[in-house]
Amino acid sequence: MFLHLLFLLSALLTLAGAAMVLITRNIMHSCIYLLASLIGVAGLYATLGADFVAVTQIMVYVGGIVILMLFAVMLTGGKDFVSKAQHLLGLAPTMGNRWTYTVGGLVALVFLFTNIHLLRRLGGMGQVKNDGAFAPTVDQIGNLLLTEHVLAFEISSVLLLGALVGAALIARPRHERSEK
Amino acid sequence: MISLASYLVISLVLFLVGIMVMMVRKNIVAILLGIELVLNAAALNFVAYSKFVTQNLDGHIFSLFIIVVAAAEAAVGLAIVIRFFQIKETIHVDEATQLRN
Repeated sequence: MFLHLLFLLSALLTLAGAAMVLITRNIMHSCIYLLASLIGVAGLYATLGADFVAVTQIMVYVGGIVILMLFAVMLTGGKDFVSKAQHLLGLAPTMGNRWTYTVGGLVALVFLFTNIHLLRRLGGMGQVKNDGAFAPTVDQIGNLLLTEHVLAFEISSVLLLGALVGAALIARPRHERSEK
Repeated sequence: MISLASYLVISLVLFLVGIMVMMVRKNIVAILLGIELVLNAAALNFVAYSKFVTQNLDGHIFSLFIIVVAAAEAAVGLAIVIRFFQIKETIHVDEATQLRN
């Protein structure tokens, strides 16, 4: 029962947050709704028994990436681009124009129908019931990371170092270039 | 009843909304928000299949690596956005037409 409640709340938070990211005009509000959506995804991980992934999701996304996004929004002025002439159906002021909404909607519909077709064939898969009896996964994940998946673990550390150095290199102000 | 299909439907809708955000918005930071939504949808699928089908923890590991790669991508992407803003004084995506000035 508690599992169902958590699942419904998390799904609602995820989907409503994502929808609000799409339809809000203000980019700052978009970031905050993305925060809600990511917390909802963490709740969904919790209903799947993935405790470590849920906590990592909250720590990395909510504590790191969204804060970084908010800094980027504030450093770049936080303006969104509303084209005054081209509102969707003339009803609500939106941040795209008619063509972006048409193309985006068409692609979304194609994805939707393809995936619903595939989901119908799912049939026999996933017959395992989610009984709500979860074991902690942290020790197994630690063992797997340092035995079976150690190569990917090391490569991801190199990737993070490269991303850190690259980000510092790219965002640094270049005085010598401007003096030329 | 919570089944695999319910998670797949949530992940599908999350993915579609992410694609819509990437296509509709003109602000580069907002496009990065859409990319985060898409990555989350993929990671959710991995964990759902890991729970309902394969019954081991490989999906969790893969989901963790997706989170790591998303963090790296966000850091580099936002650095590029800030540099772009310093040069062009705007972050409208249609202004990004040159690889170097």
